[in-house]
Amino acid sequence: MTTERRTLESSLAGSTLTGSNPSSIDYRPVAVMPDVRVVKIGGQSIMDRGRAALFPILDEIIEARKKGIQVVVLAGGGTRARHIYTIASELEMPTGVVATLGKYIPMQNARMLQMLLAKHGGLFILPDDFEKLPLYLQLGCIPVMSGMPPFGYWEKREEGSRIPPHRTDAGVFLSCEFLGAKRAIYIKDEDGLYTDDPKKDAKATHIPRITAKELVDRNLNDLVVERVVVEYLPRARWCKELQIVNGLKPGQVLAALEGKDAGTIISA
Amino acid sequence: MTKLVSDDGRTHIQSRLMRESLQDRKVLSKTDSERDLQIFPDVSLVSIGGQSIFDRGKDAILPLVAELAEVKKRHKMVIGVGGGTRVRHTVSIAMDLGLPTGGIAQLVGAMEELNAILLNALLAPHGSMPMQRDHFWDLPLYFDAGITPIAISVPPFHFWEPPPIEGAVPMHGSDFGLFQLAEVLGMKQVIYVKDEDGLYDKDPKKHADAKKYGKVTLDELIAKPPQENILDEEMYRTWHEAKNLKRIVIVNGLKPGQLTKALDGEDVGTVITKGGAS
Repeated sequence: MTTERRTLESSLAGSTLTGSNPSSIDYRPVAVMPDVRVVKIGGQSIMDRGRAALFPILDEIIEARKKGIQVVVLAGGGTRARHIYTIASELEMPTGVVATLGKYIPMQNARMLQMLLAKHGGLFILPDDFEKLPLYLQLGCIPVMSGMPPFGYWEKREEGSRIPPHRTDAGVFLSCEFLGAKRAIYIKDEDGLYTDDPKKDAKATHIPRITAKELVDRNLNDLVVERVVVEYLPRARWCKELQIVNGLKPGQVLAALEGKDAGTIISA
Repeated sequence: MTKLVSDDGRTHIQSRLMRESLQDRKVLSKTDSERDLQIFPDVSLVSIGGQSIFDRGKDAILPLVAELAEVKKRHKMVIGVGGGTRVRHTVSIAMDLGLPTGGIAQLVGAMEELNAILLNALLAPHGSMPMQRDHFWDLPLYFDAGITPIAISVPPFHFWEPPPIEGAVPMHGSDFGLFQLAEVLGMKQVIYVKDEDGLYDKDPKKHADAKKYGKVTLDELIAKPPQENILDEEMYRTWHEAKNLKRIVIVNGLKPGQLTKALDGEDVGTVITKGGAS
């Protein structure tokens, strides 16, 4: 008989750690940086429109930062991501490979944003720099990062699709959830949520406030944010709201950064 | 010739997904097909348990290393290790402190890396190397040179670990991480090396009448799951949705020869199959 398992005493010793909650631990979660505002600048919706759309948004972010609001900017992908996804899908690449390809375009966009924000403290950061956020934010910087979560090759497949389910919307939500921020902010080119894609259906109407459950119950063919985010929202501990604002309408970004309601709020 | 289209204020590159919402199910379905590219179909992933093997120390580890040194001459494989009791200790302290799920996920990988360093130190004279996170494209070079890579087991979800279905413990541990590595690279099989002869309907350490599964399909296991599972639930969920991997074997690393048989393609321990493959 071989040596026994040598086990450290802990409330989880001997368990299979399969995601269930050990009842012996009184889990009282601590918010890491609850005052930080994580905001996504859309790829297709904003970046691909260029200067006309982007510059006024950056002005509002800079103004918010000058007011002392701590802002972390995450970048979306856009049409170049759709282009590489199309070709990768034709080649029958596994979802994990597609997700890895999908990291590069938001990274480019983040670098563009950093160059434009540099004179106002724009700082390009990687996921590994996340633990330095307190320093950057106390210095008055505006950290800029790719919105893509770092799953890469470990991204799971979603039934009926080859596109990675966790993209830059998920990255913003998950960043908020880790930091303990209450609301994830998405800057797009629409006023938020509609009954259908307003770019394709003129009869689509605006929805100012909705719960994740109501949204799921509508079983819409299309959604304004990634499906996984709506799925995760009800079980989040901190990030209980998603706010989608129209970056093409002056004032909406600043209002959102100041914590005011604008656009559409999706709540847990 | 690639066309740029900018009639709506946004500049698009012509592609099938141009202007489309990537949340639209109809759009997404156009990207899918029955199969994935199989990148390394002749490679096996060997996962060595933390609690079950490493926490037992020398008596369990050395015979297994000797077996690996021998069998690596004939088989292409990537090895991963679990973290065992130190992971559980880390999680229990972190939860008492109230650290967020993403924070716990960021911490646990270090405990597994310790076992990976030990294993590599023992296996290096026979040809092994730690593989950097996702340096998969070095694999042909490793195999040509007779080197067996030791991979990082935990997936790189880190601070971005999604909120668990239940509780606060991260759902994506090393069982999932190694499964997904094999899945995305289109590998032949995953072999989980544990300290029991396979998967049982209940914990054989506590129940004398526990029955071992010989060959079982994933669907059968999901329909009637064992009382206590020795692999993470998320691994089964992910496998159910996955497209490539057809075979998972669970063997006893305390019994010399079981791992070798599994690598040779023999039915040993518990063989779980998916989609009618054998």
